[in-house]
Amino acid sequence: MKDPYETLGVAKKASADEIRSAYRKLAKKLHPDLNPGDKQAEERFKEIAAANDLISDPEKRRRFDAGEIDASGAEKAPPNARYYRDYAAAGGHPYEGQSAYGDFAQGDDLFAELLRRSAEQARRRPGADLHYELPVDFLDAVNGATRTITLPQGGTLDVTIPAGVEDGQTLRLRAKGAPSPGEGPPGDALVQIVVKPHRFFTREGADILLDLPITVKEAALGAEVRTPTTTGNVMLKIPKRSNTGDVLRLRGKGVKARGGAGDERVKLKVMMPTEAEPELDAFLADWKPAGTYDPRKEM
Amino acid sequence: MITEREFLERARLDRRTLSVWIEEEWLIPARTSDEFAFTDMDLARANLIRDLKDNMGVNHEGLGVVLHLLDQMHALRRALAAALESAHERRPSSEQ
Repeated sequence: MKDPYETLGVAKKASADEIRSAYRKLAKKLHPDLNPGDKQAEERFKEIAAANDLISDPEKRRRFDAGEIDASGAEKAPPNARYYRDYAAAGGHPYEGQSAYGDFAQGDDLFAELLRRSAEQARRRPGADLHYELPVDFLDAVNGATRTITLPQGGTLDVTIPAGVEDGQTLRLRAKGAPSPGEGPPGDALVQIVVKPHRFFTREGADILLDLPITVKEAALGAEVRTPTTTGNVMLKIPKRSNTGDVLRLRGKGVKARGGAGDERVKLKVMMPTEAEPELDAFLADWKPAGTYDPRKEM
Repeated sequence: MITEREFLERARLDRRTLSVWIEEEWLIPARTSDEFAFTDMDLARANLIRDLKDNMGVNHEGLGVVLHLLDQMHALRRALAAALESAHERRPSSEQ
């Protein structure tokens, strides 16, 4: 970072008015929008803007002069600031001016033809695509649904959520974006789906995952238990001597996808009773396993 | 699309100033049923207007002239770029 006084071309003792006038003179010359073809104008303009920022503020100037802050301490230009020229370079916007070359465009030579063609192109330019984000309930994403978005600029947008839509997926609604600045077609609306998490279901590809708590008795003796799926409850057969971590598969109860549906994978979780069970305690105290029952023999 | 409220905040403008700028056609935002809808381009243009007024001392009368000339210049640059591009496209075939 160069010395701000040098950048603005003023003396160290320059008055506030002198600084202001020096800055204005340079800004008029170097503003990127007044120099659309000069790639370096932006850098130079930022430099003088930063220099002005530093020494036009009496407090910052005092601290700089005292050596408390260096010249880069005043850099305040936002990193991604875009100038008007970045947009004006494209045609088809409401600020477009043509009167500067209208007379050239009347003729029948090559240049007139080119001007007419580019004006025609600008007129037919489609409107901009508009982006939206749509939070969707887990089950709606699995089973499909219809939702209405109320647009920030007024109006509504009906969105059909296809069954099996994934988190982060984008739906394109043709011609529901911004209108064309000329007479072209409107842009598209791009709706990004954000799937909200479910209380007990999760999803892995086309499969639905569920942790299913079962009692000690159901685990030991086997049972049929009511099990939620994304389309309602079903009865699931738990085999005898099931364990925590065993996975049972409900075929076709997953997400409907092209070429069939996924499965629901039910992972069992054996739960001990949370309240005192004297009978169970008494039985277990007397119980002598018949076989070689040692769950830690692999360790 | 940027709503009016967000635009005022990001362009650091008050509502009255904005309505004057729109009346003068320095800004031409899109209109929806009952509200303005601004683009990033409108925002960049508002920043340019502020630079011209506040930092370069262009007064109210002069601003319209400056903006008009700037827009003419952009149109000319675009026309020139299109002409050059078309000339480049033609060149290879004429050399064969």
